[in-house]
Amino acid sequence: MSQTNGQKPLSREDLRINFFRPRPGFMRREVIIIWITLAAWAIMIFGMPVYLAITYSYSASTLAEVSYTFGVPSYFWFSSQFLILWFVFLCFSFNVLIDWLSSSYRKRR
Amino acid sequence: MLIGALVISLVIGMLARRHNKGGYGTQVRSIGHAKIGAAIASNWMSAASFLGIAGVFFLQGYFAFAYILGWTGGYILLLVLMGSQIRRFGKYTAPDFVEARYDSSVARVFSAIIAIVIALIYCVAQYKGIGLIFAWMFGIDYTQALLFGILVTFVFITVAGALKATRNLQMHYLVLILSFVIPLMLIAKKLGYNWLFPQFSYGRALQDLPEKISSDYLFPWTFGTPYEWIALCFTLMVGTAGLPHVLSRFYTVPNNRDARWGVVWGLFFIGLLYWSAPAFGAFAQSWLVTSGTTLDPTAAKALADIIVIKTAEWVGLNSILVSILAVGGVLVAISTIIGLLVSAAGVVSYDIYYRLINPNASERRLTLVAKIVTLILALLVLVIAVNPPGLIAQITAVAFALAGNTLFPVFLLGIWWDRTNKHGAIAGMLVGTIITFAPILLGSLIPILPKVLPPTSSALIGAPVVILTMIIVSRLTPPPPEHLRRFLVEKVHSP
Repeated sequence: MSQTNGQKPLSREDLRINFFRPRPGFMRREVIIIWITLAAWAIMIFGMPVYLAITYSYSASTLAEVSYTFGVPSYFWFSSQFLILWFVFLCFSFNVLIDWLSSSYRKRR
Repeated sequence: MLIGALVISLVIGMLARRHNKGGYGTQVRSIGHAKIGAAIASNWMSAASFLGIAGVFFLQGYFAFAYILGWTGGYILLLVLMGSQIRRFGKYTAPDFVEARYDSSVARVFSAIIAIVIALIYCVAQYKGIGLIFAWMFGIDYTQALLFGILVTFVFITVAGALKATRNLQMHYLVLILSFVIPLMLIAKKLGYNWLFPQFSYGRALQDLPEKISSDYLFPWTFGTPYEWIALCFTLMVGTAGLPHVLSRFYTVPNNRDARWGVVWGLFFIGLLYWSAPAFGAFAQSWLVTSGTTLDPTAAKALADIIVIKTAEWVGLNSILVSILAVGGVLVAISTIIGLLVSAAGVVSYDIYYRLINPNASERRLTLVAKIVTLILALLVLVIAVNPPGLIAQITAVAFALAGNTLFPVFLLGIWWDRTNKHGAIAGMLVGTIITFAPILLGSLIPILPKVLPPTSSALIGAPVVILTMIIVSRLTPPPPEHLRRFLVEKVHSP
C-alpha cells in the first residue's frame, strides 16, 4: 500500500468514503449502478418469499389454484431456475455499465 | 475406477505443480472469460454442491432453494460491492487485507483464526461426503471410510501439492459437470421422463407423486417458515461474499475486468449444477413411490447426502455410471479439502507461528510447521466428522454464517466507510463470532436462541448487528490514519 508522507494533507471531506454519501464523479455514478443492481437483486430474491408468505396458507387445494410453468407451480420454477438466470443477467448488465463508466472516466483523465 | 480416477488426478496435479512453481495458483496467462468462469465454478464446487443440494431437496423440497439461491445470489454481492475494490486494494488473503486496511496485527490474527475455523468447518462437510461414499463403495464402516479418506487426501497433498492449480480448473469443472449431468439424463430416461432436459422434466416427476407427497415438495413452507427460508438464503449470500477462498479467486485473473466478466460465466456454470441437483432428489422420491419402497425419516436422513449416487443405483443405472457419480463426489470433496487445508496451514504457519511465536523462523522451518499443522488440522476435522452434526449442506452453511457474521462486515465497511477503524473491526469480529457460535454452544440452556439465530442462518440478524457494532465502536474511537483513508480515495475508489 502506498504511503503518503510528504503529500499535501486532504480535508475531511476529501477523505470521505461513504456508500450512502458517495463522492461526486466516478464514485457517485458507480454507487448509483450498485444501488440499481442491488435493488433488482433484492426485490426478486426476497420479494417472492414475502409474497408467498402473505398469500399462501397451507391447504391441499392451494396448488390446484396456482399457475404452472414447465410442469411446476410458477413460484417453484421462479425460485429453482429463473432466479439463477436473473443473477447471470444482473452480473452481465452490471459489467456492461461499469465498463462504460470506467472507459468514460479513463478518457477524461 | 476410483483408483484410476484418483491416479489420473494425481498425475495432472503433479504436472500442474511442475509447471506452476512460481505462482501456486495466483498467476495465470490471459485466458478467456468462459475459462475464467469455469475456474470460478470449479473452485466453488464442493461436496455441498455436488452431493448436499440434492440431499436437502430430497428431504425438504422447496426449502432447498434457499441454499441454491443463497450460494448463487452471493456472487452478486461479491461482484457489486467488493470484487473490484478489494482487487484494487491489492491484498490477496483475508488476513492481508485486514492488516493493511485496519493497520492492526490483532485484527489480522483474529481474521486469520476465523479463516482457519471456516476452513475446518468446510472440511468437516467434505469429509462427511468422502466417508459416506467410501463406506458405500467398499462396504466398510463410516469411521474406517473417514480414515481412508484422510489417507487419500494426504497422498494428494504430499505428492501432487494441490489439485486446484489454475491450469486444471477448467478440465476439473468439465469432468465434474459431465459426471453429474449425464447420469442424471439417463436416470430420467430410465424413469420414463424427458431425458434431454431432466432439469425441467423433474417437475413432471413431482406431479406424478401421490398428492400428499407432491404437495409437500411443491408447497413453499412445508419444511420451514418464511423467516427460516429468508434467514438461510441471506446468510449464505453474505457468507459467499465474505468467504476467503471465494474472494481470492478474484486475484488469479490477469485484470479486474476479466475477473468481473469471469463471474458472469462462473455463475452460469454453477447454475448448470444447481439447475440439475434437485432433479436427483425428485427422481429418488419418484423411484421410491413407484417401487413401493418406504424409508422412515431416520433412514431417509442417513441416505440424503448420497442420494445422488443412490438414485442412480436404485433405478438400475450401469454400475460404471454409478461409479462415475461416486468418483465425482470424492474428487470434488478431496480437491476442496486440499485447497482449504493447504491455505489454512499457510495461515497458521505465517500469521500465527511466524508473526507471533517465532519471527526468526526460516523458510524451511515454516514449511515444516505448515506440514505439521496440515496433519493436525486434518485430524481435528476427522474427530468432528466422526459424528457429523448435520447434513453436508447444513454443516457448510455454518461456515458461511461465520463468514457472513465476521469477514463480510469487515470487508464491506473496510471498503465503503473510511471511518471504520481497527477497534471497530476487532469488536465486530468478536460480536460476529459470538453470534455464530452462541446458538450452537448455548442452545440447550437458552432454547429460544437457536430459533432466533439458527446456526445455519444467523447472519440475517448477525451481519446487521455486527455492522452496527463496528459503526458505534469506530465512532467512539479515533479515526484510522490519513494515509489509509487517502489510499481508499485515490486507489480503491478510482477507475
